[in-house]
Parts: sequence; C-alpha cells; structure tokens
Amino acid sequence: MFEKSLTDLIQGLRANKRNEAEYIRRSLEEVQGEVQQSDMHCKSAAVDKLNYLHMLGYDMNWASFNVVEVMASPRFGEKRAGYLAATQSFHQETDVLMLTTNLIRKDLASANAMEVSVALDGLAQIATAELAADLFDDALAVLDHSRPYIRKKAVVCLYRLALKHPEGLHALVPQLKERLDDPDPSVVSAAVSVVCELARTNPHNYLPLAPKLYHLLTTLTNNWILIKIVNLFASLTPIEPRLARKLHGPLSRLVCTTNAMSLLYECVHTAIVGDVIGVPLPVADSIGREIDFAELCAQKLELFYESRDHNLRYVGLVTLARLQEKRPELVAGHYETVLACLDDPDLSIRMRALDVVSGMATRRTLVATVKRLMSQLVLSNAAALQPAAPGGVLGPGQQADACVGLPQTDASGTSLVSAQGALVPSNKAGAAGPDAADNPEYRLAVVEAIVGMCSRQSYENMTDFEWYVATLADLVYTAGVDVDRLLSERLLDVTVRVRQVRRFSTQMSRRLLSDSRLVSRAAAGGANAMTLAAAAYILGEYCSLLPADPDDAALLLPANLAAFTDEQQATFVQASMKTYTNWLRDVAGYWSADIWEQVRSVTSSIQRTLSQALFPSEGASSGDALEAGPDAAGDVAESAARLPLQVSSRLRQFAEAIEVVSVATSNPGDSAPPVCAELHSLFTVYELNPVSAAAQGKVPVPEGLELDSFIGIPIPDTSLKVIPPPPPQQQQPRSTAAAESSHTRGSRYSKGTGEHMERRDREGGPFYLRDDAHGGPRARGGPPDVDDIPVVALELGSEPKSEQPRPHKERKSKKHRKRKPRSPSPAPAAVDIAGDEDMPGIPTEAQPGTGPAAL
Amino acid sequence: MSIKYIFLVSRQGKIRLAKWYVTMGVKEKNKVLKEVSQLVLARKPKQCNFIEHQDTKVVYRKYASLFFVAGIDLDDNELLMLEIIHRFVEVLDRFFHNVCELDLIFQFQKAYFILDEMIMAGEPQETSKKAVLKVIAQQDETEALESAERGWGDINLEGVARTVMLTVQEFKQSFNR
Repeated sequence: MFEKSLTDLIQGLRANKRNEAEYIRRSLEEVQGEVQQSDMHCKSAAVDKLNYLHMLGYDMNWASFNVVEVMASPRFGEKRAGYLAATQSFHQETDVLMLTTNLIRKDLASANAMEVSVALDGLAQIATAELAADLFDDALAVLDHSRPYIRKKAVVCLYRLALKHPEGLHALVPQLKERLDDPDPSVVSAAVSVVCELARTNPHNYLPLAPKLYHLLTTLTNNWILIKIVNLFASLTPIEPRLARKLHGPLSRLVCTTNAMSLLYECVHTAIVGDVIGVPLPVADSIGREIDFAELCAQKLELFYESRDHNLRYVGLVTLARLQEKRPELVAGHYETVLACLDDPDLSIRMRALDVVSGMATRRTLVATVKRLMSQLVLSNAAALQPAAPGGVLGPGQQADACVGLPQTDASGTSLVSAQGALVPSNKAGAAGPDAADNPEYRLAVVEAIVGMCSRQSYENMTDFEWYVATLADLVYTAGVDVDRLLSERLLDVTVRVRQVRRFSTQMSRRLLSDSRLVSRAAAGGANAMTLAAAAYILGEYCSLLPADPDDAALLLPANLAAFTDEQQATFVQASMKTYTNWLRDVAGYWSADIWEQVRSVTSSIQRTLSQALFPSEGASSGDALEAGPDAAGDVAESAARLPLQVSSRLRQFAEAIEVVSVATSNPGDSAPPVCAELHSLFTVYELNPVSAAAQGKVPVPEGLELDSFIGIPIPDTSLKVIPPPPPQQQQPRSTAAAESSHTRGSRYSKGTGEHMERRDREGGPFYLRDDAHGGPRARGGPPDVDDIPVVALELGSEPKSEQPRPHKERKSKKHRKRKPRSPSPAPAAVDIAGDEDMPGIPTEAQPGTGPAAL
Repeated sequence: MSIKYIFLVSRQGKIRLAKWYVTMGVKEKNKVLKEVSQLVLARKPKQCNFIEHQDTKVVYRKYASLFFVAGIDLDDNELLMLEIIHRFVEVLDRFFHNVCELDLIFQFQKAYFILDEMIMAGEPQETSKKAVLKVIAQQDETEALESAERGWGDINLEGVARTVMLTVQEFKQSFNR
C-alpha cells in the first residue's frame, strides 16, 4: 500500500536525472523485496515497475518466477500485467517457461473471453517448441470460439505455434481454409495474413487455396485485406503461371480504379513479380486507349517517382527496378527523371535510383552517366578536404592526399580531361549533397554501379575503352572506400580482353606505379595494394607495347616491396624481370659503348636491389653472396627461407638471369651478347588470353597419360613388412580407372591388404606424386632448390610464367573483339598439351573476374 | 507483411516502447535499437520515411517529439506499414485524448495493450480504431472493478508497518545529524 507505485517510480526517475543509475539501483532493491511479497497486488505493481526498468535496459530475468506468479493471478488486471511482463522479458531459454504450460492451458479454456485473448497474445509471443507442441491442440480448440475477436487471435497465434511446431501445420491448414470463409471480415483478414506468411516460405502447399482467394479478391472492398491478398498472389503466381492470366482482369481493374497508393503499389508490384504484365491481353488506360498492362504499370509508376512525396518516390524507384528486370525498354524512357533522383539529398532514394540507373545505361548514355557519378565522388572528396569532414575508409588526411593525387592522372589523356570538365557545371549547381555522397555505403554502391554498367554483358555498352581505363584509374584515387579487389579485377579484365586498350592500359599502370605516394600508402596497409599488383602485372606483361624504359624494373621493385602480400610481391618481381628483359632486348638492337655502360649500371643496381630483397639483414655488401660458391649455399637457403617460397623463388630466378647478363656483358663489345636479345623471349613464346572458367575441366585426358603409376621405386614400409614394391607398369591406365567408379576401387582393395596399404602409402606418403600434381620437379615436397627453378624450362612445354598460379589463363591464340570474346579456336601447332584440346562449344561468356585473377 | 519490431524513441534517443516480434538476444536487440535510433534521429524532415538497415527495411514516422519506428522485410509494403503506424497513433490519440509523450511514459502498459490489439505476432490484426478502443475500454473497466472490490479487505499491513518503521528511522537519523 505504501510502496512506490509505478507513477512514483517514473516521477522519481524524472526528478533524479542527475544520478539516475543510483536511483534505479535503489528502486531495484526495493522491487526485489516487493516481488517476494505474498500480496498479489503489490507483486503485480512491482512487476509493472520492473517492466518499465526493463524497457530502459535493466535485467529482469531474475524475477521470471514472480512474473509467472502474477500471470496466474485470478484478477484480470494483474494477469494482464503478468502476461505483458512475460512477453517483454521472456526469451527462448527462460527456464520458468515450462511452468507456464498449465497456466496458459487454463486461460485458453477460460469462459472469460478477455482471459483467452490475453493468453493467446502471450502465447504467440513467448512460445517455444515445447510450449507450442503442448498447447497446439488447446489453441486449435479456441479456433471455434463464438467470438470473432477470439477466433481472429487464435488464427494468428496458431501460425506462430506452427512455426515452432511444424507438425501442427497439417491440422492447421484445413482450419485456415475454413476461416477464409468466416463471416467476420477481421477473421478472414487474419487468415489471409497467415496464409500469406506461410505461402512465402512454401507456396506449393497453398496453391489449392487460390480459387478461394481469387474469389475474395474479386468480392472484397476492404483495402487492408486486398493488399494482403494481392501480396499473397505475388508468392503463388511464380509457381503457377496460369494464375497470371486469371489475375490480369482483377489486378488491372484495381490498378485503374484504386485511389489508395499503398494498394496501387502492391498491385503493380505483384503484377511485375508475378509476371502478370507478361499476359498478352490489352487493358484500357485512363483515356480509354487500349494498351499493354506493362505500359499501364509504367504509367502508374510515374505517379510515384515523379511525385513530390519522398515516400512515393522511393517506392516508385524500388518498383521501377523490378520492372526493369522484366521490361527494360519501358524504363529506359525515364532516364532523365531517374538521373535527377541521383542528386536527391536522401540516401535511401539515391541508393534506389542508383539501382535503376546502372541498369539503364546504354551506349549513348553510359559516358554521361558515369561522369555524373564520378563527379559525386570527386565533389564530396573535395568536401573531405576540410579537416572536420568524416572520412571513409581512408582517414580525412588520406582523402586529402587522394585529391592532391588527382591532378597527376590529369595528364593521362584526353578522356580524363573531359571527365574533369564534366565536374564544373555540377559543381556550380552544388547538386550533390556532401553528406549523402560522403556515406561510405553510398560511395561503394556508386563505384560498383560505375564498374557494373561499364562492363555489363562483356562491355556491350562501351565505346571508348581508353576512357574506361582512365576512369578506373581515377577511381583508385577518388573512391574513398575499399574497392581494391573490384578495381584490380576490372583493370585486368579489360586489359586482357581488349587488345586495343592494352597500350593505354600499360601507360596507365606505369603512371599508377610511378606515384610513390600511392605505392607507399598501399604498402602501409592502406587501400589499392591489389590494384597496384594488377598494374604491375599489366606493365610487365605488355611492356613491349611501350617504348622500353630501364626505370620500369626498378619501379617494380619498390623499397617497401616486403610490405605487400606474398602473391603481390611475386607479381611485382615477375613483372620487373619482364620489363628488364624487354629493355635489354630493345637496347640490343642499337648496341654501343654508352648503351653497354647503361646496361652495366642498370644491371648492377637491380642486382643490388635483388640481393637486398633476398638478404634484407646483410645489406648491400652481400651483393655477391650468390656467387660465393658452395660454402655460402647454406646461408642462401637459410636466408631465403625467411621469404615466402613464391617470392624467394622468383627473386632468385631473376638474380640468376641477371647474373647471366652480368657475366655476358662484363666486357664492352661491338655488338650485344645474344643473351640480351633472347632473354625476353622466355616470356613471349605464347600469348596469354582469357579462358572461360569452365574450360580447364573440359580438357580431355591425353591418351596414355598415366598418373597412378610410380615414377620411382617406392620405398617399402619396413614396419609392416608385407608389400613388395609393385612393378611400375602394373597399374591400369588412368582413363579406365577414372571411368570405373568407386566400386572398382573397392574390389581392388578387396584383392588383398597389400594393395590397399600400397594405395594408402601412395596417398599419404611423401614419396608419391599426388594425382593433381602436374609434372615438374617442384611438385615434389622438399625444400626449394635454386636448380629447380625452371628458368629455361621451355622443352617441358611450360613457360616460366606458368609458375604463377593463374588458373583462368591458358595458352591459346584468339582474336579479341571488342564486344564479344569468341570461342577460343584451337591453339596453333604448338608443343603444348592445350593444343590438343578438343573443346568445341565452350561458353566464352567470360564471367567477370575471368582475367588473371590469381594476382 | 511481417513486422520484426516496433519501437518508439524520443528525440533525445530514449526508448519509450519496444516490441519485438522476432526471437533475438538482448544484446542484439539493444544493438539494433541503438543503430536504428541513430539512423532515424539523423534523418531530415524532407527525406523519405524508409531506411535500409541490414536485411530490414526501417519505416519510421515522426509525431511531435516521438519517432515511431518499425522494421519490416525488404519486400514488404512500406506504405502499408506507414499507414499502420499512423493508425496506431490515431488510436493512442483517441485513447489518451490528444496523446503526448508524457502519456506514453506514465502509462506505457496501456500503449503496449493497444499495440497488442492492433498487431499480433508481427501481423496487423485489427485496423478498426473503434474495435480496438472498445476492447481496451472493456479490459480497463474489468480492472477498475477488481480494484474497487479490493476495498480495505486485504491491506498489506506488513507493508504499512515496515514503511512506518523506516520513516521513524529516517526521521531519527535526520534529527541526529
């Protein structure tokens, strides 16, 4: 009686704003005593107070038992408070839940409708799998209650129970069907909602209800229920296309007549999702013309996204994106309107507009659209120059860097200049709201949209590839979010696929790599490391397209090389070797004493860099450690072991090659030593082209390829002393072994333990080649040996570059076309396994990322 | 239509009501409440009433100093949710006669009861204002009757005695000071 009431508590809280926590602590102590009291009124008031504190974020699980006590109170007011507290605070693991079973059962069977209602509400919320199983039948019994109010609640409650107790669905579905005929509209509404929810996950089970629902759709006038039924048909129509024809009439009628935007929205949505717009029946538009339903939907959508109401604009754009999937030509006409939405200050609307815009781009509009999006990125970057501006992935300072970096790319080509020119008008207009364009999520979406619309359908819409590459390079500076992987993949993809752009792309790569600030930022863990590696690959692979430059090799061996990942380092080193040998070949053509001097100095400088990379601790003095003979070999191995294998093997390979050059050019001569001219041909024997990801699997196994047989005599397992080593030729040829499936293996096992163990040996033993290891001495486990690096392994049919894991590439001659990569023609009569491949009809719709993504 | 949650948050970021229709841990709930509140409170008046938050579409509407916020599925009807929110506010307004934030603070249980009548387990179940108000009125009447019946019959004497004792002690303490 004299305890603090709920009102007192709340007033007290408001009065004690300064030391709220302390006040709550004291109140909780009081409440702890109060819930223990035998007086139910006091207990229920305490539970109410707890409930309030719970809402403020304080735990009340300790009082769960007391809550159950209050739920069991005979007085409705207290029961109601108890149930409320239970629904708010109980969770699936609350242990007292099992105490509630009988309590709820009693309430469900109560003669007092209010108690039944409270129990149904509560049960729907707190049901666990056990409670649902125990009480399902009790709730089912309530479904026939005389009051529609209770029937309605029972329907929804049973739905929740069925979610926890799926076995109940069998009993529920026929009942639901009956409730669809209920005389009371609110019960019908509840039944429709429940069927709608159930049909979302499993539409097939509810197809039989379609006629009844169709009847409701054509007879009811209540918009709330209509929306639900229309929504329900959106789940059913995709699995039963005949429904679309049936729905055409009622839906188009609703679309034409309704004034409720929410119903109109739902109808248009269902018409699109259920492909009702695909039904070839005419409808009459507002002025009586006969038009396609799809056109009608497009007309109605204009009402939405041209509205001044932001909400309607938003849902209009959402639906437009859906319509675009089915009928892109109907959306294309609204290009300007949608583009204008890109400058909306509201992030939600911008994101949706971006969706539509990226699907809209055509050959004609692509460049303008991309420039518009780029300008948003650049402008907000300018805003980021102010110190207080929020940074994206890069800190504010780094963003400022990126801006300063921009002019460097400015000189890259005409296309870039024009991209810069496009900034001016929108800058004046101040259209891009800085806050929306600064949002990292939005920036990411913008970059993805730009790249997506440029490369869609194998560059279907692209007319100017140099501009595209310049745009990608610009994005490196302006993105402001982490799009490293995306940019690196796209850069490689376009360069490898489009022969005409390679030269420009190589220039651009050189420019990116020359930006020491960009490189050092990437090395310091910042963005763009992958993009730089891609640029390194491009520069190395296509350096012969540009005038040879002796500095490229050094550019590709930056001082902070070790800060990149293993694969990236390997790419850099390999590319450096390519550019160096390319330059050597070039100068070999006009050899002179000056050139000789230059070769000497460049070679020795690279030699120093390499040995520093190989022996970071010993400094430049150990430059000739490689030449020091067998004594130093141990040191070399030890030192290099600290480097990752793929990096150290490439470094040493390069060092070996350069040593050859160094020896050959030790004396000035009248003409270049032949090695200078020839070294680069190691990398140019075959051209690398994109290959469909599925192509590798289609390469037929060559006749007589035997991978199961032993190469050497296996060492018998002496501990077992059973198996004599089998003669190497005994095994079946692989092709037949592969054709017979596992049962053959089983029978082979059963021949005897000896063979079984032998096989096990083969699988686990270090002396056996595994099936997937394609030849080459490196396949053997064992420490790397300098001699193993196949610098001149041409006769094996595998060029040195093939060391780089580059799964998507293969050697094949192939004409590149701008728009559609053709199916690769068989390789010329080269000495390669790939030349024998019989792969007609390989789908060359190369997926994104089919470039040398292994970088 | 399946609503994941509904909550009310004041302009100062205080939660005034929170109802969850999906099973979620307390920590997750608080995280969502915090993140979504921040998103909603940062919105400007002339922006649309929908925000995308993870796999949920947040539909909100501001009434005076309170934001009514609901989370729905991505392919649910946002406009319908706005109408439901509006309907809820209309019922609250009728019930409290010009509802204000204080009403909802001091009688938060009533707000929950009304919400329960309109939305059950994430499904909008009653859209008629009259029907909702009738049910709530009936329930309140029953409760009032019960309190009246209590009379003085079962006064908590123990409680009275304890309170008196405490008061005396406090009085003494303050006197000694």
